[in-house]
Amino acid sequence: MNHKVRKSLKASLLALPTLGLAAAMSVSLCSTAGAATKKASLAVVAPPTSKVSLSETGSSLLFPLFGSWMTAYSETYPNITVSTASTGSGTGISSALNGTANIGASDAYLSPAQVQATPAARNIPLAISSMFIAYNVPGVTDHLKLTPQVIANIYLGKITNWNNSAIMKLNSGVMLPNLPIVTVHRADGSGDTFLFSQYMSVTNPSSWGNSIPIGTTIAWPNAPGAIGATGNSGMVSTCGSTPGCLAYIGISYLAKAQLAGVGEASLKNKSGKYVLPTSATMTAAALSFASKTPKTGTLSMINTSAKNGYPIINYEYAIVLSSQPNSTTAQAIRSVLSWIISPTNGNSMTYLTPVGFIPLTPAARQNSANQVAAIK
Amino acid sequence: MSLVRTEAASPSNPGPPSDSASVRERLRNAETVLWHRGTFVAAVLPFLGLAFAITVVAIKGWPAILVNGTHFFTGSTWQPGSTYGSTVYPHGVATPQGASYGAWPLILGTVQSSAIALILAVPISIGAAIALTERLPRSIARPANFAVELLAGIPSVLFGLWGILTLGPLLARDVYPHIASIMPDVPVLNFFNSPTGHGEGLFTSGIVLAIMIVPIITATTVELFRQVPSLNQEGARALGMTDAEVTHSVTIPWVRNGIIGASILGLARALGETIAIAMISGAILGHTAQNIYSPMTTIAATIVSQLDSSFTDATGFATATLAEAALVLAVISVVVNVIARFIVHRTGKLGGPVGRG
Repeated sequence: MNHKVRKSLKASLLALPTLGLAAAMSVSLCSTAGAATKKASLAVVAPPTSKVSLSETGSSLLFPLFGSWMTAYSETYPNITVSTASTGSGTGISSALNGTANIGASDAYLSPAQVQATPAARNIPLAISSMFIAYNVPGVTDHLKLTPQVIANIYLGKITNWNNSAIMKLNSGVMLPNLPIVTVHRADGSGDTFLFSQYMSVTNPSSWGNSIPIGTTIAWPNAPGAIGATGNSGMVSTCGSTPGCLAYIGISYLAKAQLAGVGEASLKNKSGKYVLPTSATMTAAALSFASKTPKTGTLSMINTSAKNGYPIINYEYAIVLSSQPNSTTAQAIRSVLSWIISPTNGNSMTYLTPVGFIPLTPAARQNSANQVAAIK
Repeated sequence: MSLVRTEAASPSNPGPPSDSASVRERLRNAETVLWHRGTFVAAVLPFLGLAFAITVVAIKGWPAILVNGTHFFTGSTWQPGSTYGSTVYPHGVATPQGASYGAWPLILGTVQSSAIALILAVPISIGAAIALTERLPRSIARPANFAVELLAGIPSVLFGLWGILTLGPLLARDVYPHIASIMPDVPVLNFFNSPTGHGEGLFTSGIVLAIMIVPIITATTVELFRQVPSLNQEGARALGMTDAEVTHSVTIPWVRNGIIGASILGLARALGETIAIAMISGAILGHTAQNIYSPMTTIAATIVSQLDSSFTDATGFATATLAEAALVLAVISVVVNVIARFIVHRTGKLGGPVGRG
C-alpha cells in the first residue's frame, strides 16, 4: 500500500464518526487512488449518494452479527438500507446467485459446480467463525478431552458409551458415567454440518473421509440412538435435555449452551495439544492459513498445524455476483462489504466478541478487499 | 339484497321514475351476471389451484422421478452425494456423484405417525363430543366446548416446542419405560419393547399429532351430535334404553359417516403436519423406526428441513427430489381421501342406522 493511500485512509477513519460528508469525500478519493494499484484499498468505500436498499439473506449463524453490522452502518450512511434475513446458508447462496438477494450469507464456500454454473459468483470472507464440540455428561465439570478419531468413532457407532476405554484413556481422573452416547446432528441443512463433516473427513481419511462426502447435509452413519435437531438453538436445547448427548454447535451459541448445562470439549489438534475455541487459539489457526487463502477466498481451515491452533475454524462468507445490474447497486454493495471487513468498523471486536468470531487476518482482508473492489 | 338497489329506491334519492326503473333493471342484470361469474370462478379456483400445485411439483420433480425410479419407494438411504465433488449424468440428469435417495423411511414414518395419532384421537374425540353434548351440564360444556375450539387454532410450532421441552422428556422418563416393561416379546407388541429413547421419536410424534387433531375431530363431531333428532333419542329412552345404550345405538350410528369424515379431516392434518414433527420426531433420515420410541421423520418434515441444504446442490437434483417427495405426499393424501369416501359410501349403503328409517 502506498503512502498516499495510507494517509487518506487515516484521514477518512478520523473523519468518519464526526462528519459524514467529509468522510465520504476523502474515502471516495482514496478508493480511486487504490484502484490504480494492484492491491485494492482497505478503506471503506463511500456509498452512492442516492437512496439504495439492499437485501441480505442466508446463514442463521451470521444473522445476528449482520443485523448489528447493518444497524451501525446505516447510522453512518443513512441513505443505504440493508434488510437482513435468517434463512439458512443454502438459501443465502441460491438467492445471491439467482439475484433475488444482493448479498447471500453463508458459512460454507461455493462448490465447484456452483461456480461453474454461475461464473460471476464470488465468496468473500467477512470474518472467522468456529465450532465447538458439545456434550451433556452429568457429573463432568471440567472440559472433556476428545480426539477427532474418538469423535468419528462415536458418530460412526463404534463407541457407544461414555465410559468406553478410548474416552477414559483421554480423560484420566475424570469419573465418566456408564451412560449411552446420544449423537445429535443438524436435521436441517447447515454450514455447521459442512464444517463438521470436513473436520471428520480430514482427520479420519480412512474411516470417514472415503465413505461420507462433505456437505451441508450428509448421510449420517447409523449410530444407535442418533437424533437430529433443527438449528443451533435446537442443538442446544436437545443436547441440554438429553443426558449422554454429543453434538457440534456454532461458536456464537457457546454462552447459551453453557446456560443449558452443555459442556465444551477440549480438542486434540494436529500437534497434539488440547485446545478450546478461544480468540487466541482461533487466531493462531487463522494465521497459519493466512498465506494459503487463495484469491477466490475458497479455503477450508480445518486441522491447522499451528501449535496452539483450534482445529475447526472457517470463514463466514458473503456470496455476491461480481457483475451487478447497475453501478449504483454495485457501489452500495462495495461500500457495505468494505465497511464489514474494515478492522475499525465491522471487523472490530465490538461486533465480533459477542458472537465469538475473530477478525480476518491482514492477508485475508486484503484478499477480500480485492474481491470487493472487483464488484461492478 | 344489494346495497345499490335499496339506495336507488330510497326516498332520499328520488329520480325520474322511468330512469330509476331502467337503472334498477340494469343493475339487477349486472348483479346476476356478476353472481354467476363470481360463483363460477369461486368454484373453479380450488381445482385450478390443486392442478397448478400438482403440475408444478410434478414438473420440478420429473428429473428426480427419472433417476430415483422405484428405488425411491423401496430404498432407505438418503445420500445427497458429493455436492462439492464431480457431477454425473444418469438418464441425462445432472446429479452430484454418489447421490442416492430412498424415501421409504419417510413414507412409512408419515403413515405410522398419522396412524398412531388417529388411533389415539378418534376415541378421545368421540368421548369428548359425547360429554360436551350429552353428559356435562351446560355451564361446564359451553366453556369446555369453547376451549376445544381454541385448541384447534393453536399454531403447531407451540405443540412442537411443548413436545420437545416438556412432553418428550416426561414420556421418556416416566411413561415409556413402563410400557416397554409390560410388553411381551411377541410379534407386533415387541415394537413396544425397549430401548425407549429420549422422548424424541415416533410415539411422541403420534401423541402430539393426536393432541393436535382431537379438537378438529371433536368440534366436528359435536356439531354432528347436535343434528341427531331428539325425537329418536327420546323414543329410545322411552323403550327403556340407558343413556349409554342411546348413545351407542342411536346417536353414534346416526352420524357414523360424519364421524368418519371428521376423522379424515384430522388425518389430513396429521399427514401434512410439518413443523411440530420436524421438532419432535428426532429427525432421522436413512432408516425406518426400529421401535415405537425410535427417532424417525416424515415427508413433510423432511421437505422443510432439507430445503435449504438442497439449494447447495448446484445440479438442482436435491430440490427435484424434495419435489418428488411432495408429490408422493399429495398422492398419499388423495388416496386416503378416496379410501375414506369409499368407506363412507359403503357404510351408507349397509342399511340405515337404527332409528333413521
